[in-house]
Amino acid sequence: MLAAELVFGMLAAAALASVIATVLAVESRDLLKAVVFSALQSVAYTLMYFLLMAPDIVLVYAAVAVGIYPLILILLIKKVGRYEG
Amino acid sequence: MLRSIAFAITLVVFIVLLAYATAVGALGPLPPPHLRRLAVCVLNTTYNPALLRLGFSADAPEGVTAVVWDYRGLDTVFETVVLYGAIIGTLALYRQVLKSEERRESHSSERAEALRGGLSTVVKVATAVIVIAIGAVGAATGLHGQLTPGGGFQAGSILAVIPVVLLVVFSRDFLIRSGVRYARMVLLRNVGLIGIGLTALGLAVVATLIGVRGFVLQNQPHDGSPIGYPKWVLDVPSGGSLLFFNVFEMLAVVAGFTIVFLVLSLREDAAREEIRGEERGC
Repeated sequence: MLAAELVFGMLAAAALASVIATVLAVESRDLLKAVVFSALQSVAYTLMYFLLMAPDIVLVYAAVAVGIYPLILILLIKKVGRYEG
Repeated sequence: MLRSIAFAITLVVFIVLLAYATAVGALGPLPPPHLRRLAVCVLNTTYNPALLRLGFSADAPEGVTAVVWDYRGLDTVFETVVLYGAIIGTLALYRQVLKSEERRESHSSERAEALRGGLSTVVKVATAVIVIAIGAVGAATGLHGQLTPGGGFQAGSILAVIPVVLLVVFSRDFLIRSGVRYARMVLLRNVGLIGIGLTALGLAVVATLIGVRGFVLQNQPHDGSPIGYPKWVLDVPSGGSLLFFNVFEMLAVVAGFTIVFLVLSLREDAAREEIRGEERGC
């Protein structure tokens, strides 16, 4: 049963990390930093999907949430300016 | 500062309450810890040579891909069509702008000039190496979709990282100069979708021609139909139609994403100019 507890423990840690990253992303006034925090949150989610035994979702989530989505947002930030306010 | 702490606490309280409500069953019954009957049925029939002879096996080593393209093939076909419609809608909105952009770009800067834009040489060289690796991973995910986790959509979205990275590190001009054009991407997307359609209809048409029973979206022989897609490619199980579906879906997804990126990275001034011209009626 130790393995199951380890998995649940890692799930909890990843979930906690994702909450912290989300708060930082929402709070950040520097949009570029917000994108990086958002990607960090996605990394935590990717780990959670992997622990929940959904490797198919991991493959598409990692590519979209860490690759495509931050890069699109960076393209947009280039147009609207880096700082909120 | 106080505001941030209050926000964080609210978030944590909300999540804890939601988790508690789910745990006590307020959002409906919890899933049972053991395998449900549907899962047992899928696991039994996905790759089972004994059942295959009786016509009850999907004959694909990877269960998720088998469910996506075989057990629930129609769902996935509709999903693909919805994504296609969304992208065609985007293109229709930008049609005029894209046309004039293409004309301008086709006889503007030379390739050497296009290479000059973007980030530093170090970043460019590193990116060139990484792009090859991304391509290899994407192709492997798509072509082995019937053996290992992954499949057409996953492969397409991994490969779609390539044009985005090139767009940021090199430049839009470079991408266009390398031959990544709207028309070509739309063509590639259409090839992917037509391929999916033909794979879905394939066995039904063949069955009608040779005068036996056949179904749309059929993969292996079953329910009175003696024909099926080939089970092996060389010495690798191909999962029948799954390999074709994965490859065509990969093409459709990567082309679709690339079109969206090209539209998103349009020069704003050029687009505005074109729209203004339209308002003046010229």
